[in-house]
Amino acid sequence: MSDSTDIAVARMRLRAPVIAVVVTLVMIALGIALGGKVIAHQVVSGLLLGSIYMTVAVAFTLTIGVLNFLNFTIPTLFMLTGMAAWGLLSGGYLTLAGRGAWLVALAVGVVAAVAASLLVERFTFRYLKMKHGDATEHAIPLVSSLGFLIIFENLVLIAMGSDSQRFAVPFRADLHVAGIVVGVPQLVSCAMAVAVVAALSFVLKRTKIGRALRTIAENPDTASLLGVDVGRVVPVVFILTGLLSGVAGALFTVNYGDVSPFMGDNVGTKAIAAMVLGGVGSIWGAIAGGLVVGLAETLSIQFFGGDSVAMTVWGLVLVIIVLRPKGLFGVAAIGKGKM
Amino acid sequence: MLLEVANLDVRYGRNHAVKGLNLSVAADELVTVLGSNGAGKTSLLRAIQGLTPCASGTIRFAGEDITRLSPPERLRRNLVLVPEGRQIVIGLTVHENLQMGAYCRADAAVQQDVDAIYDRFPNLAARRKMPASVLSGGEQQMLAIGRALLARPKLMMLDEPSLGLSPLLVERLFELIAGLRNEGLAILLVEQNTHMALEVASRGLVMELGGVVLEGAADLLRDDERLAAAYLGGH
Ligand SMILES: Nc1ncnc2c1ncn2[C@@H]1O[C@H](COP(=O)(O)OP(=O)(O)O)[C@@H](O)[C@H]1O
Ligand SMILES: [Mg+2]
Repeated sequence: MSDSTDIAVARMRLRAPVIAVVVTLVMIALGIALGGKVIAHQVVSGLLLGSIYMTVAVAFTLTIGVLNFLNFTIPTLFMLTGMAAWGLLSGGYLTLAGRGAWLVALAVGVVAAVAASLLVERFTFRYLKMKHGDATEHAIPLVSSLGFLIIFENLVLIAMGSDSQRFAVPFRADLHVAGIVVGVPQLVSCAMAVAVVAALSFVLKRTKIGRALRTIAENPDTASLLGVDVGRVVPVVFILTGLLSGVAGALFTVNYGDVSPFMGDNVGTKAIAAMVLGGVGSIWGAIAGGLVVGLAETLSIQFFGGDSVAMTVWGLVLVIIVLRPKGLFGVAAIGKGKM
Repeated sequence: MLLEVANLDVRYGRNHAVKGLNLSVAADELVTVLGSNGAGKTSLLRAIQGLTPCASGTIRFAGEDITRLSPPERLRRNLVLVPEGRQIVIGLTVHENLQMGAYCRADAAVQQDVDAIYDRFPNLAARRKMPASVLSGGEQQMLAIGRALLARPKLMMLDEPSLGLSPLLVERLFELIAGLRNEGLAILLVEQNTHMALEVASRGLVMELGGVVLEGAADLLRDDERLAAAYLGGH
């Protein structure tokens, strides 16, 4: 790799956040100018949906970036948050919490997602590392995480049934901005998704553990040489993954009000599309990809009807990866400076 | 003795890379390990740091048996390796690479020590905010050594530091190594640049097929024709 391309990559990474913000604002402005309020409303809904995809896509990209495998349990962690929260609420376990019960339920749901994620770490990564040396060399994490996806889904299915359930949030307020109706939960959700991703980005960029994670992402052997206890840092990735997936699940539950054992499947697939579209292993790519997929989905419903969503999203992914094989923000080689 | 390696064996499956090797380094001594490609030098250093498991044998460092300790635990005892190929983290900035060098430390003097590294290597200071990938080969070697110094080594092991450097930079590198030796740092230097290595070392070992074939004072080794033979022989 020549020096000049490296500098170009570094510059591009600096410019990425600016581009993302500008593109978002331009799309909203265009929406209002060209399509009027209906389109503008779809753009706002798309950005909300996109912020949920973005959070899940960041979880995917983090695991790929640091541990080099596609963690299929992420959609289940997302689902567990919603189902655990619904189970607690509908089972009447939280009557003591009064009017704030739904918030407590969601918080416990996020904790459940983090706990489940650590369980997966315990039985895939740590176990494999003890038995077979370096777990990342095998396809086993991929396969076992797929196994966990199916097991968790079916456990929830057996325990709680396969029906879609209503999660009622006693909380509604709308803002009227320039004639567009924006739900306060929507706004709060977008803000929370952005805050969580920004916090993660801060941890990766500025903290000691973040530097260790980036070093492991590039070369676990170098990390170990520098005194990083790789086995101790790996659970941190799973905690962050659980947190991101859990927060996304909670935001989804609050905004759409429905939970089911399969609620993670659709979001998971879209988040993978978002990650690929943005560039695998790049946090900014996951952010941009999530927003683009969210917008594509709501606009596609608006223009072509509900059945067109999958075709629009995956069509977009195919077009972009043909034009830019590494995705929008993908960097050169896998494993080098990808976060 | 600061480092004592006794009967060390390293195996990769059926490949016996280090065979019953004995080696010692005293505090403030510079010992060099020579030998052609595939002789087992890198395996030896990695086993001493704990990065490659040893099949049998013992490693004692500063009076303690460290054979079963993990690499971070050995690092915290101030045993530090500058690896073959430098292993700079190119996704991190120069400054972040230095911070990684002090990863195992929790004391308050880190910042001060980082500044001292910048004083020693002004080229790094000028590029502190840049990604480490923009550094030239010579600068990368300075970064690798600077990073290792931040772990406060009692013993620094260097694995072919001169590899890929121009003759002028090799000259400067060996001046740096001699300087560190004069400051009282114990060094175990693996090199293929026999002439330069024996110039700065007090003792040398020549490895071949995983074992020591020749050992002695550096100035005697320099004139030993068996040294040249070891490089021509091998496999
Ligand atoms: N990770 C590894 N797996 C298997 N064999 C290895 C590995 N590393 C080194 N070897 C083998 O061990 C022997 C010694 O290699 P090495 O220690 O790298 O020697 P040197 O550093 O002297 O060139 C060689 O035969 C090499 O092929
Ligand atoms: Mg070697």
